[in-house]
Amino acid sequence: MTRQPAATPPQDPRVNPAGVFGMSLFLVSLAVLFTASLVSYFVIRFRAEQWPPPGMPGLPFGLWWSTLIILISSVTIQLGLWSAKKDMQAAMKAFLSMTLLLGIAFLFNQWANWSDLLKIEIPPTVNLYAFTFYTLTGLHAAHVIGGLILLSVVCYKAFKGNYGSQYHPGITYSAMYWHFLDVVWVVLFVSLKFSF
Amino acid sequence: MAAVLVRTEHITPTQTIMGADAYNKMFTLHGAMMVFLFIIPGIPAALGNFVLPLMVGAKDVAFPRLNLTSWYLWIIGAVFAVASLLVGGFDTGWTFYTPYSTTTPFKGVIPIATGAFILGFSSIFTGLNFIVTIHKLRAPGMGWFQMPLFLWALYATAIIQILATPVLGITLLLLIVERALGVGIFDPALGGDPILFQHFFWFYSHPAVYIMIVPAMGVISELISVFSRKHIFSYRFIAYSSIAIAVFGFLVWGHHMFTSGQSSLMNMIFSALTFSVAIPSAIKAFNWVATMYKGCISLKTPMLYALSFLFLFAIGGLTGLFLGSLTTNVHLHDTYFVVAHFHYVMFGGTVIAFLGGLHYWWPKMTGKMYSDRQGQIACFLIFIGFNLTFFTQFIMGTHGMPRRYFKYSEQFTTLHVLSTVGTYVLLVGFLLVAYYLIDSLVRGPKAPSNPWGGASLEWQTTSPPPVENFSQPPIVGDPYDYGDLVYDPEIRGYRKLIKTGAA
Repeated sequence: MTRQPAATPPQDPRVNPAGVFGMSLFLVSLAVLFTASLVSYFVIRFRAEQWPPPGMPGLPFGLWWSTLIILISSVTIQLGLWSAKKDMQAAMKAFLSMTLLLGIAFLFNQWANWSDLLKIEIPPTVNLYAFTFYTLTGLHAAHVIGGLILLSVVCYKAFKGNYGSQYHPGITYSAMYWHFLDVVWVVLFVSLKFSF
Repeated sequence: MAAVLVRTEHITPTQTIMGADAYNKMFTLHGAMMVFLFIIPGIPAALGNFVLPLMVGAKDVAFPRLNLTSWYLWIIGAVFAVASLLVGGFDTGWTFYTPYSTTTPFKGVIPIATGAFILGFSSIFTGLNFIVTIHKLRAPGMGWFQMPLFLWALYATAIIQILATPVLGITLLLLIVERALGVGIFDPALGGDPILFQHFFWFYSHPAVYIMIVPAMGVISELISVFSRKHIFSYRFIAYSSIAIAVFGFLVWGHHMFTSGQSSLMNMIFSALTFSVAIPSAIKAFNWVATMYKGCISLKTPMLYALSFLFLFAIGGLTGLFLGSLTTNVHLHDTYFVVAHFHYVMFGGTVIAFLGGLHYWWPKMTGKMYSDRQGQIACFLIFIGFNLTFFTQFIMGTHGMPRRYFKYSEQFTTLHVLSTVGTYVLLVGFLLVAYYLIDSLVRGPKAPSNPWGGASLEWQTTSPPPVENFSQPPIVGDPYDYGDLVYDPEIRGYRKLIKTGAA
């Protein structure tokens, strides 16, 4: 804190030097939120005699697609961040827009998964198997929606030409958040899919 | 106010001024409002946000806009809490235990739970801001162990805020969903578990007790040292004990559930862990007393509050050990003994420390001095009123008076009346505080930069501080070294001793 190592390149004064640290703490806090919800899921799941309960189908196959989409989107946002660092404006814009589209595709696919269940008349109120599935995926989807709002703002700023190699805090933070959502999804997916 | 009404109701053993439903709503309202809207944010958000940037020698917290967001969230949360009254109130107690909270006919449960959920985010953002500010914005030359102990306390508190509050968030969310849909994981009919709610709730709400008390301890560490004109005794132990309390605080939630049917092994583990929290708390208390030993104590209003804190917190903390022991807990569980215990900690601890801190930093915040004489009288009234209100409840609790009951048996009448009289004395004390503080804003004399002779950085700037907090960079030194501060009657405050060649 008191002295700067000589090797660090000069920082853009508009960048809050504490930003990355603050964002990390926020993600730690969110991680606790998701951990607690998973704990509640496992308590309910391992208390049940049969899981899924008799007469209930397995989870929709579409969850695999969601997993694939969100994994790719994590790659694209990272490429967007690297492009920003190298000041490659066109690539940065392209990768950010791709991430945004993949995020929207993820949500659509999650909605399709929900409707698969709703079609065969399994609403969240039918039993705790359905209830935990809807609440956990819904909780994650709510955070994806938040991420998409953040990404839209960042995209808008990128297209306005606000970001460069020295100044791109929005991309840094949204990439951190997006990777976090990716990891949460994978953990959630594995927990839901493979706890039978 | 709700508390005054609750106590007034108890002047007679049966109905006095309100019906049973109104009484249930009233004590619930008092609990929920006080916990979520006042005691949790009180010291960190109200005092901390002002003092923390000054103490680290910074212009502001690390993320001022996030801080403003946190404030707006608090307002929105408060609006939801008030809205819950408009739709019929709620009578679940502040703990919202299932299955009662999911089935009670009163419609205020969803709004108040939403409000508490939003307040949780307010709390997380404040904690986040404090941690980052302490890490990144300390003035040049201020290492971790040159920080005032109040900052250590706020740091420990912020860790709890960030790690525990999300659990409350998800719990309340699940409660809201369960109440709205009629289905949920706390419903035993479906294979759910109402006790799971209690685990989740206390996993937040017990650490939340330390969100309330640790910053209070931080305030006391400042007051005791400044008003004893003596260096704080064993700085590092006090600093580490704040962190230790924060860590232990996460491991003791089960002591709220000794009678919930959890296994006796679990009960024993939680009981043992509960006792371990007493160690860092006692370390602090001993160090405060050792700081005063052979000090030059001046009984200004803030110091009177600090001494009240020592006395009341000692009672509050030690009665916690009775409740943490399994055998006595079964007898005392859900009696007035518990009510008295946590009021000694939350009121005798947190509120008293809040008042002490408020009186200590008031001149810095407003630039005006209040009447010290009136301050002392009010502190005396509050101390007497508080003890009258709650010590009587210890006695009633040991005799078996259950908490939250609308009616009670005749034998408790005298003690209940005394307790209620105590509440009125408290009320007078509070009104007096409000009167002279407001009066000081209008007619109070101008405050000097350093009225008490504090050595931490906030006393180096003017009262009130300029927009950028410091017009010239503060000089970092030992925050508890009062050696070179002398009282100057001309400015009615302390100033640095100017070292001449001869000295």
